[in-house]
Amino acid sequence: MSRYSLTVAVLSALVLALAILSLAAGPAGIGVIQGLSDMLHGRETIAATIIGQIRLPRMILALLIGGTLGLSGAALQGLVRNPLADPGVLGISGCGALGAVLVFYTGLSAVWAPALPLAALSGAGLATLLLLALTRGGTLVLVLAGAALGSMSAALLALTLNLVPSPYASYEIMHWLMGSLSRASLHDVLIATPGLLIGSALLFSTGRSLDALTLGEDVAQTMGFPLRAVQWRVVLGTALAVGSGVAVAGGIGFVGLVMPHLLRPLAGARPSRLLLPSALGGAALLLAADLFVRLPVSGAELQLGVVTSLIGTPVFFWQVWRLRGRPV
Amino acid sequence: MILQTDTISLTLQGHRLLNNIALDVRPGEVLGLIGPNGAGKSTLLRIMAGLLRPETGRVLLDGQDLFTMPPEKRGRHLAYLPQEAPAAIGMSVRDVAMLGRLPHRRTASAEQNETAVQQALDAVGMSAFADRSSARLSGGERARVLLARALAVQAPILLADEPVAALDPAQALTVMDLFGQCAAQGQAVAVVLHDLALAARFCTRIAVLSQGCLVSIGPPAEVLTDALFAEVYGVAVRRCGEVAVPWSLVSSARRP
Repeated sequence: MSRYSLTVAVLSALVLALAILSLAAGPAGIGVIQGLSDMLHGRETIAATIIGQIRLPRMILALLIGGTLGLSGAALQGLVRNPLADPGVLGISGCGALGAVLVFYTGLSAVWAPALPLAALSGAGLATLLLLALTRGGTLVLVLAGAALGSMSAALLALTLNLVPSPYASYEIMHWLMGSLSRASLHDVLIATPGLLIGSALLFSTGRSLDALTLGEDVAQTMGFPLRAVQWRVVLGTALAVGSGVAVAGGIGFVGLVMPHLLRPLAGARPSRLLLPSALGGAALLLAADLFVRLPVSGAELQLGVVTSLIGTPVFFWQVWRLRGRPV
Repeated sequence: MILQTDTISLTLQGHRLLNNIALDVRPGEVLGLIGPNGAGKSTLLRIMAGLLRPETGRVLLDGQDLFTMPPEKRGRHLAYLPQEAPAAIGMSVRDVAMLGRLPHRRTASAEQNETAVQQALDAVGMSAFADRSSARLSGGERARVLLARALAVQAPILLADEPVAALDPAQALTVMDLFGQCAAQGQAVAVVLHDLALAARFCTRIAVLSQGCLVSIGPPAEVLTDALFAEVYGVAVRRCGEVAVPWSLVSSARRP
């Protein structure tokens, strides 16, 4: 078995184990199998309600959102050929969250449910387009623009939430900025899943083009992979996937940055070979983080993004430490 | 397959970069594109590779317009080796060469791809390093790996922009010799060169560009005259015996 197949197999097993654990873990001591069977047979027991209404949506969203974050990180890094690309670091998630907040608190999403994911993916899409327009300026310009977009979206988001008459404004700000799945419902799953799946399909389809791009835009184009076609697929895919995720769970950071870095030594440097492992790794990371926040540590639940950042930043520092002194 | 430029011109931001260039690259020949800096050699090669659209005129591949050809088909017919490549991101040497088989992903078998890559790596003398990370190669080795990538396409047309600029004389000779072998096997090769000695020695024909115009085209001995050096490069030539250019390199005993 090649190292790539082994990596994929181990990660798949890990995701499966964490998904089952995610259904089993919680304050209510109920049987998972009993709950699932009750749910499937339409028996309205407490176990069926907890599994079907609370834990299953949460597990599905953690799996899909984590997966798409890892995947979009890997695809963005391949596209701009820059290991710092990530929807969180570059402010794409933040702009998506801003779009979601604007629609959510003006009440538009209550009138027309799809407005929420559409606004989030418009925000994420606009941010991605702007960043792509700036990639020609090089690494520094990209990172600076990303930092600016991130700060701007966070500030506007906080401003919007301060203006709405809500006693829970600061809690809401935390939810959207750091991300959380504590309120995940079946409705959220229905709203987010189409975008998450279509976005992922688009991002997965870019593998060969990203491989060709490692030789530069010119060579890729002469080999039959025009840059523009890849760009559009990555922009649309990222906007759909990240936007849909942000719409229901807020801006969860660091997953897309950390996973490709962590898995590159195992999966090899070919961008196409990094997509699936990064998606699986992202799903595993978010499932694990979501299990962690449910631990009764502090009484109140931690924000999901706090945990992913706490896991993510040491790994990131370690990578930066290894890269020190090398030319960018 | 013949690659033909049909009186192409290009103006960018008010500058006339190319002016009515009509030439062709034929199977079995190495066409050298020479001229002073800024003469339009690389621009012409980029147009021939389908990367840049000429303002007027057409680029024809066996009579078919290059710019209306499906990208994937074009990718199989034409391999392009740019002057500067991005830093390798740590793929193995074999994986980099294998990228050259991407245009064949729907038409060739895995064995065909393996064979093509092995042949290409053998040709540039990098087989021994096949599993090494491309991040750990010297400049010359990396240039040869990228050449192997272009050779692995096994395209009837091979276009190379200053392929020997980063190489020492011995490696430059080997690489130029390799282009000769490609031509001998029926490929049409066009190479942008600055080294006139190499051009004289390895090119079947030479096209001289100056200020966007095709000044002269033909066999080296006919094209590289004292008058041309004076007119195009502004240099005088002192000839020693029968040597066709100011100085000439011959094959060394040492092979890189």
